[in-house]
Amino acid sequence: MSPEKSTSSPGRWVKALLPWLLLAVLLLLPAGNPSPNVMKLLFITAVWTTTSVAWNLLGGMAGQVSFGFAVFFGLGAYTTGILMHLGWSPYLTFLEAGAVAAIASVLIGLPTFRLRGPYFVIATIGVTEAVRVIMNNLDITGGSSGYRILETKPFNAAEHYYTAIVAVALAVAVSSLVAGSRFGLALRAIKQDQDAAADTGVNPYFAKLKVHAIAAALVGIAGGIYARRAAFFYPGDVFAFNTGISILLMPVIGGIGTVWGAVLGGVIFGMVQEQLDANFPNVHLLLYGLLLILIILFEPDGLVGLLRRAARLLRRRREDPGSKDADQVLWGRGGIAGR
Amino acid sequence: MNLVQGLNLLIAALLLAGIYAAMAVGMTVIYGVMKIVNLAHAGFLMLGAYFAYELFERFHIDPLLGAVLALPVFFLFGMGVHWLLVRWLPKSDTPTLASLLLMFGFWLVLQNVGYFIWGNDDRSISTPRTNFPVTVGEISVPEVKLIVFAAAVVCLIVLQLVFNRSWFGRSMRALIQNPYAAQIVGVDDARTSRLTFGLGTAFAGFAGALLGMIYSFTPEFGRPFLVRSFVIIVLGGLESVSGVALGAIVLALLETFGPQIKFHGEYILPDSLQPAISFGLLVVVLLIMPKGLSSLFTAKRRLT
Repeated sequence: MSPEKSTSSPGRWVKALLPWLLLAVLLLLPAGNPSPNVMKLLFITAVWTTTSVAWNLLGGMAGQVSFGFAVFFGLGAYTTGILMHLGWSPYLTFLEAGAVAAIASVLIGLPTFRLRGPYFVIATIGVTEAVRVIMNNLDITGGSSGYRILETKPFNAAEHYYTAIVAVALAVAVSSLVAGSRFGLALRAIKQDQDAAADTGVNPYFAKLKVHAIAAALVGIAGGIYARRAAFFYPGDVFAFNTGISILLMPVIGGIGTVWGAVLGGVIFGMVQEQLDANFPNVHLLLYGLLLILIILFEPDGLVGLLRRAARLLRRRREDPGSKDADQVLWGRGGIAGR
Repeated sequence: MNLVQGLNLLIAALLLAGIYAAMAVGMTVIYGVMKIVNLAHAGFLMLGAYFAYELFERFHIDPLLGAVLALPVFFLFGMGVHWLLVRWLPKSDTPTLASLLLMFGFWLVLQNVGYFIWGNDDRSISTPRTNFPVTVGEISVPEVKLIVFAAAVVCLIVLQLVFNRSWFGRSMRALIQNPYAAQIVGVDDARTSRLTFGLGTAFAGFAGALLGMIYSFTPEFGRPFLVRSFVIIVLGGLESVSGVALGAIVLALLETFGPQIKFHGEYILPDSLQPAISFGLLVVVLLIMPKGLSSLFTAKRRLT
């Protein structure tokens, strides 16, 4: 990123202001009185983006790819559902949803973080499938017939939207804080070389558990927010394998390891999926499968990598080495030679 | 549970083990030679089931023959997939996430191609044999399961012979043991990899057709079997054909007898939780053998 650093100060200002500008636009959007469908689309996109940014904390920064984030999404949804049933205020239940998901993440992480690379990935597939089967058979979740939230207040699309926007902002803020902190450095060290990181005084096991819990809490909150608006959900939906896949695909498509890549991936995914799901069910996964193949083979940095390439072409800058984030996650140790 | 019931269950477990072994072995050879965790395996299983289904519905070809026909067809398909996608992956001694995600993306594509062609209705292949019981004394087994078991075992034996007796099998074993030394003594890495991928895919298609004779299927069909395959090959030490047979027997026994275990007169594992056994077992196996698994990254297991 060194060429960026040398840009003139207005460029830096734009970069620093952009997130706030974006937030302001997002907060003012409902004032334009958009149609209910647009509000729903924006809401879903915000929820997905939150999960995408959260996944990126573990998958992008620490390099631990997990297929199992549906577990936290589902637990968040059910925590909110059950507590609201007991008469809690929805906002308190969101916090509780995050806490439950974080606790679950520690329970899952204790055994699975003993594994490395692809073995960790496979274990997360096992965990997410097992949890879904169990949840389908628990009385407290209402089993496969689903769970319904009854709210006495009239439905307020803007309120749901703002809650989701707050969640996105929270996820981005947490990600930025982690990325800039000593803890974030430790995570990147683990991604590059876990043994070397351990030698320099990082406890990889503990650091992974910690970032897993942070990510899970964010996903749990997103799950709770989703559940409150959906008002009806069942294990085959919130705990679905496909939910876990979606949460993984967004940051990979957007660009592994960068906060804004995860945001971009989430936004595009949310928009495209809502449209495709309505008109051609199942097509979206075909699209994402193809995208995933193309990204792995041609542009491991995802859409952010493509944008960087385009920017390089436009500015005719000297070759920018780019970030090695994606390489480290995908190929292990410091990327492959000659790419 | 009396003796006859127990015997019935034991036979059911062994029959299940046969098909599980055929299902997992394709994944093992691909992992062994190329160190690729083939998530598209589930897609190949699904396509195998639909392959037998289409042959049966359109041309009234017996699904067993359909399964045998799947072998050459999926062999060519697998070589095509290798040529198109897999060969571009850089060589690695340890499995990379890139290969895992690439195969995962391909699985998504296969799944959705399945949805395009067949929709998401449950399909099944029902022949007169499907429910015809073979009875010996008090023990009775559906004939189709016996046939499937026999086919699976024959195929495993053939594979074992290919491994141990043929030049191709020898070069595969060489690549598994030490890819660099193998290339020094003249093993064509690219060609062997291509053939191995074809072989693994052929077995996945074959096993998928066999599974399709027993279970109903949708384009999502392979997913539970993918996790089972992985449990089996992890139990079996990841790179050995005989290990696969052992892992398959362990998993089949647990899945069959697990729901029968009583504690204080209550079944601790209701039938509806039975699918969770393999998923739970996967995590438990990884948990209690973390050393065994992490050592796989450095130590090479020998093929037996």
